[in-house]
Amino acid sequence: MLFLGSVRVFGLSVLPAMFMLALPALSAPRTPLDDAAVIERLPFKAGDSSAKLLAELRAKALKAPGDAELAVALAQAYFDLALARGDPRYVGYADAIVTQFAAAMTPDLLQMRGILRQYRHDFAAALADFAAALALEPERAGAHAWRAAIFLVQAQYTNAGGECAALLRLSRPALYGGCAGLLQAYSGQLAKSQFTLQQSLSLTQDPDQRRWLLTRLGEVAAWQGHSAKAEQHYRQAVAIGRDDAYLLAAWADFLLDQRRPAEVVKLLSSWDASDGLLLRLAEAEAWLKMPAAASHIQALDDRFAAAKLRGDTTHRAEEARFQLRLRNNPALATELAAANYQGQKEPRDARILLEAALVAKNANAAQAAADWMQSSGFEDVRLRQLAIDLTKLPAVMKQPVAKP
Amino acid sequence: MKRLVVWLALLTCHAVAWAHKASDSYLAVDVQGATIVAKWDIALRDIDFALGLDADGNAEITWGELRARQKEVSSWALSRLDISRDGRCPLRVSGLQVDDHTDGGYAVLHLTGECPGTTGELGLQYRLLFDLDNLHRGLLRLTLDGGTHSTVLSPTSGLVLFSPGQVSRWNTFKQYLLEGIWHIWVGFDHVLFLLSLLLPAVLVVQQRRWAGVARFDMAWREVLWVVTSFTVAHSITLSLAALSLVSLPSRWVESAIALSVVLAAANNLYPVVAHRRWLVAFGFGLIHGFGFASVLAELGLPTDALALSLLGFNVGVELGQMAIVAVFLPLAFMLRNTRFYLRGVFITGSWLTLLVALVWLIERAFDLKLITA
Repeated sequence: MLFLGSVRVFGLSVLPAMFMLALPALSAPRTPLDDAAVIERLPFKAGDSSAKLLAELRAKALKAPGDAELAVALAQAYFDLALARGDPRYVGYADAIVTQFAAAMTPDLLQMRGILRQYRHDFAAALADFAAALALEPERAGAHAWRAAIFLVQAQYTNAGGECAALLRLSRPALYGGCAGLLQAYSGQLAKSQFTLQQSLSLTQDPDQRRWLLTRLGEVAAWQGHSAKAEQHYRQAVAIGRDDAYLLAAWADFLLDQRRPAEVVKLLSSWDASDGLLLRLAEAEAWLKMPAAASHIQALDDRFAAAKLRGDTTHRAEEARFQLRLRNNPALATELAAANYQGQKEPRDARILLEAALVAKNANAAQAAADWMQSSGFEDVRLRQLAIDLTKLPAVMKQPVAKP
Repeated sequence: MKRLVVWLALLTCHAVAWAHKASDSYLAVDVQGATIVAKWDIALRDIDFALGLDADGNAEITWGELRARQKEVSSWALSRLDISRDGRCPLRVSGLQVDDHTDGGYAVLHLTGECPGTTGELGLQYRLLFDLDNLHRGLLRLTLDGGTHSTVLSPTSGLVLFSPGQVSRWNTFKQYLLEGIWHIWVGFDHVLFLLSLLLPAVLVVQQRRWAGVARFDMAWREVLWVVTSFTVAHSITLSLAALSLVSLPSRWVESAIALSVVLAAANNLYPVVAHRRWLVAFGFGLIHGFGFASVLAELGLPTDALALSLLGFNVGVELGQMAIVAVFLPLAFMLRNTRFYLRGVFITGSWLTLLVALVWLIERAFDLKLITA
C-alpha cells in the first residue's frame, strides 16, 4: 500500500512540479493587446545631451565613411559608454567601425583595435596591435599603458615594468605613477604602492584620472587592512560623480568584506542591468535574506546560460563567484576559477580561486594561485590567510575531488 | 580624449570583462522538404540602433511604434538572411509578436518560405547587424527534415551548409529512447498494471493462503516471464499501430487498458489465474501496446528514421520497466513474509488499485470526468 500510495503521490505532486521546473524558462512569444504597451526601455532618451552628441558623431561618420579620425572618435565614444554602463553592445558597435578599416590601419585604429581585443580577452592579438601602433608611432604613451595593463593581468611583472619605464622615458610622470603604483601593489609592496599612487594623485586635477587613482588607492588600503582609509578613498571617488562600473564593483566588494550588505543594496539597487554589479547586489540581498535575492539569482543564472549559448567565456571569474557564494557549488566554482586563472591572474582572480578551492577542499586546483602568492609576495592579509588555510587541508583532501 | 584612453587603460582589462550581455538574435528554422517555417527573435534595442524605433524619443519602445515600422523591420531583417536548397528560398514575414529574453524585449518575426528543392543540402547565410555590431551573434537552431543542428553564426561564418544526412542516428535513437522511458513512468495505468502482476511474484499459495517464496530465483524467474511477455506483446502492437498497419479507436483501447488493471488487481484478491500469469501479461500487453502507440503518434515519427526511432522508443519503455522492477523486486522480496507486505501492500494495495482502475474504466468507457483531470 505504501508503495502504491507513493506512486499516487508521485503522480499528483512531484510530476506537476517537474513540469513547472521545465517550462518557465521557455517564455512564449506574445501579441500585446495595446499599442501603447511598452515592450522595451532604451538606455537613453534621444534628447539627452550625451545621446545627442553620440548621434551627431554617428551621423558625421556615416557621411564620411573613409575618415579614420572620425571613426576612431566614434569607436572611442562607444567604448567609453561600454565601460561606464557595463554594456558590451557598445563594444560590438566600436568593433564594427574599426573592422571597416582593416585594410588601412592607422596607429589610432591599431590602438583602438587592441583595446577592443583585450576586452574580449584576446590578449596576444591585443599586445600585437599595440606593438604595431608603437612601431608606427614610438611616442604613443597609450599603447605602452595598455600593454602594461595586460601584462599586469597576466602577472608578467617584468614586462609590465618595461612598459612603465617607457612611460617615464616619454616624460609622463603622472601616468608612470599609476603604472608603477599598480605594479608595486601586485608585486607585494603595498606601502610603496600607496605612496606612488598618492603622489600621482597630487599631480593631476583631471576628474577621470583622480577617480581612477582614488579607486586604486581604496583597493590598496583595503589590502593593507586600513578600512577607514579605504572607505575614505572610495567615497571621494564616488563623489566625483561619474558612472563607473569598476569603481562601484570595487566599492561594493569592500562593503561586502566589511559585512555591510545593506549599503551594497542601497548602492546598487538601480544597477541590475550590469551583470557584474547584479552579482554583488544579489550577494548582498541573499545575505540579508531579502525576497529580491531569488529573482536576481535566477536572472544571473539565465544570463550565464545565455552567455554560454553564444560561446562567451570572458566572465568565468564572476561565474565562479556566483557558483560559490550563491549556488553553493564549490566544485564547479573551483573549475571555473581555475580556468579563469589560466588567462587572468590579478589579486581578485587569485582570491576567488583560493576561496573556491578551500570550500571544495581541493588544494591542488589552487596551486597556481598559491604559487603566485609565493613568488609575488602579495601582501593582502585576507589572501595570505586563505593560502595558509589551504595548506592546512588534510593531506588526502589535497587530491582533486571528483567533478560533479 | 587621448589622455582619457591612457587612463582607462590602467583600469585594467578585468574591469571591462563583461557585464550586460552582448547582442544575440535567436533564429529557429524548421525545414521539411521544401517548406520553411521559422521564428526569429531580434532584440528591440538592436532594431532601434539599426533603424530607429523610438519615434517619440522618450526612450520607451511601444508595441505601436514597432508595428508602425513592421514593413521596414521585415525587409531589413530578410535582406540579411539567405536560405537556399537547390536555389534561393524566398522568405516572407507572416507574423509579428514580441518576447522577453535575459537582456530585454525582442521582436519575434514569424517567417515562412518555399525552396526550389525538397532534398539535399541546405545553405544558410546570416548577416544581421554585422555591419553595425561586430560582436553580434546569430544563435541558430535548425531542424532539417527532422534532424536538429545548432550553431553560433558570427561575421566569419559566411555560408553555412547543412546536410540532412548529418543528423546523428544515435541522437534520434537516444531522443526516442528517453521519450520511451519517460512515458512508461508517467503512464500510471501501465505502471499499475505491471505492479499488479508483480506484487504476487514474491508469493506462493500455501494451504489456501499467500506466503513468501523460499528463494529469490523463484521470484526472479516469475518476474522475468511476466515482464518479457508483457514487453513482447506490447512491442508487437506498438509497432503495428505506429506503422499504421492496425488502428483501433482510442476510447476502446483506453477502456480496455483500465479493464486490464481491474482484472489484474482482482486476480490478486480472488486468484483465477495463479500460475501462468505471463499469459495474462501477454494478452493485455497487446492492448497496452496500442496505448503506447497513441503517445508515439503525438510525438510524431521522423520519416527518415522510422524503424530506428520506433526501436528507440521500445527500448526506452523496456528500460523504464526494468528500472521499476529493479526497485520493486528486492524490496518486495525482503518484505515478502511480513504482515506489512502480505496484508498492507499486497491486499490493500490491490484493493486500491482495483478501485482506481474501476474509476478509470468508468471514466473512459463513458467519457466522464470523475477524479482524474
